[in-house]
Amino acid sequence: MIHAMLYSPFFGLATSIVSWCVGVKVQKKTGLILCNPLVIASVLILIGMNLFHIPLECYEAGGEMIQLMLGPVTAILALNIYRQRTVLKEYFVPVVAGCFVGSVTSIASVYLLCNLFGLDEALTASLIPKSVTTAIALGIAESRGGIQGIAAAGVIVAGVCGAMFAPLFAKWFHITEPVAEGLAIGASSHALGTTKAMEIGSVQGAMSSIAICVCGIMTSVLVLFL
Amino acid sequence: MNVMGELALIFGVCLVGEGIAALLPVAFPASVIAMVLLMVLLLTGVVKERYLQKATELMMVNMAFFFIPPFVGTLEYAELMKQQAVALLVVAGVTTPLVYLVTAWTVQGCMIWMKRRKKG
Repeated sequence: MIHAMLYSPFFGLATSIVSWCVGVKVQKKTGLILCNPLVIASVLILIGMNLFHIPLECYEAGGEMIQLMLGPVTAILALNIYRQRTVLKEYFVPVVAGCFVGSVTSIASVYLLCNLFGLDEALTASLIPKSVTTAIALGIAESRGGIQGIAAAGVIVAGVCGAMFAPLFAKWFHITEPVAEGLAIGASSHALGTTKAMEIGSVQGAMSSIAICVCGIMTSVLVLFL
Repeated sequence: MNVMGELALIFGVCLVGEGIAALLPVAFPASVIAMVLLMVLLLTGVVKERYLQKATELMMVNMAFFFIPPFVGTLEYAELMKQQAVALLVVAGVTTPLVYLVTAWTVQGCMIWMKRRKKG
């Protein structure tokens, strides 16, 4: 019976949803950026499987069903940019210029550093999209032969780093323009940073969520030239 | 539109995205094509925002949930990640402030230039 349960897709589905709910609760209680629900949920699942010696393939039957939704989840990001279309029109030139330069900087710096550390192609391909939002980053990593999980980890590190230090960055780098601050947060630390940007101000929040989509599209096109 | 209709629309767009991706001569993520496609449909008014309300809200609020499986999947690469942990952290940690700095200064420069042009 246990065997049948473990190998049922419901195993992966149920454990994922339960641990996700726990992760969301913990973040609400602590309010810490580091207590990211995604990280908490994944760590819980990994610990559980290790503890009870459950092979990864048991989880994957349900995991694959969830992963199938990555496409739709990415597609609906279109709504974000649609909702900001008036602001986008007003600041079209700075948005396009900032996101373009930001995306190029991100790809080039990651590529150079990976080469410096002598990381192999699969790892480099996984880290290249680390500045864009997870849904798009996973798509890019997959299309370039990267490892999706490592891509997700890179994205999280960038996001947490940006969300934690965004206010400090603005001070250190003398960023006074709210539009510049918002776009920079979105370009460097995607959705996690955007949460912080919304706390800083409404212009910053709007700009940051525009940058997520624009940088995502630009990065997926730019990596083709690598 | 009810939730099922909304889902049908979203899945349909994704399906067309996969089709276009298969036609392209380069490896390009089908999900990004679907996103651009949906954006065009929204901007041209073919698809109205209210056609997507219920289904997207559920997905947007819980977006990171869908990233759990790839994260759990890293278990397979635990050894590789342990070996390269320092490199991975340095790459992600150093490039993030750099991207912030370059983007912010580009935009700030851009805006100063635009203001000057308006005055002149």
